[in-house]
Amino acid sequence: MGFNVKIEGNETIDLKKASIKTVLFKTDTPDDSNARSTDLGVTITISGKILAAVGGDNTDDTMKMATWSLVPAEKADCYRKVTVEVIAADQMVRKFSFPNAFVVDYTENYGDTEGTGTFELIVKQKKDKLPDVKIEGGYKA
Amino acid sequence: MGFKLKIEGQENIELGVKSIETVKFLTDTPDDSNARSTDLGTSIIVTGKILAAVGGENSDGTMKIATWSLVPAEKADCYRKLTVEVIAADEVVRKLSFPNAFVVDYTETYGDEEGVGSFYLHMKQKKDQLPTIKVEGGYSAKN
Repeated sequence: MGFNVKIEGNETIDLKKASIKTVLFKTDTPDDSNARSTDLGVTITISGKILAAVGGDNTDDTMKMATWSLVPAEKADCYRKVTVEVIAADQMVRKFSFPNAFVVDYTENYGDTEGTGTFELIVKQKKDKLPDVKIEGGYKA
Repeated sequence: MGFKLKIEGQENIELGVKSIETVKFLTDTPDDSNARSTDLGTSIIVTGKILAAVGGENSDGTMKIATWSLVPAEKADCYRKLTVEVIAADEVVRKLSFPNAFVVDYTETYGDEEGVGSFYLHMKQKKDQLPTIKVEGGYSAKN
């Protein structure tokens, strides 16, 4: 399957199928709760490759994710709109929209035996905006 | 890909392509926060080899890192300017600058079956100086 990730804020970050390897969508409530908890957290984890621009290509947008992860909480720009599309066999399996997502963790890994780096981005929807999270899918891409 | 590490303070430490094996850049906020947290930590973790100077070469800068990791917090020299460059195919993929970096952890490992040692260096930017971190890249390394 392939993935498209779009992050919209003061700048637009577009990540394409060539760079994204895995997407993990997670809703989490306390495991020890006796009934449905109001303490709900919704997270998307995206991992992928950091591609070096070879042969005059444009560099990928991963660097903008690194700078986004550094935006302090005082600025409105730390919340951005994240859209993740999961596409398989011309079908839109899932389309996740997080209109007020913020970065929980961001990691970049590089090794001397590899030609590309890897990244992991964990974003969460702002808790008071949870009803705005949209999950669609099951239609033709 | 190759890496260049530069640490500038009272003395300069430079490590090149031959010594460094992996670089990790990390921004971390509490995983259980409900909204964007102000508790932001930004780290760089570098691992690599400690090369023995053979045939009259100069020894590498790893020993200076070991002494830096011992500088007590009372001294200004415990904060140094850190620059890491990640270079692949003549392109600077990332240039990370932490102007006020300090050592969180430093480890050196040696074994009787190896000719080189290995080090692990975890550095963090001073928290009140977080806005001075610079992330650049995407330009040619040839200049």
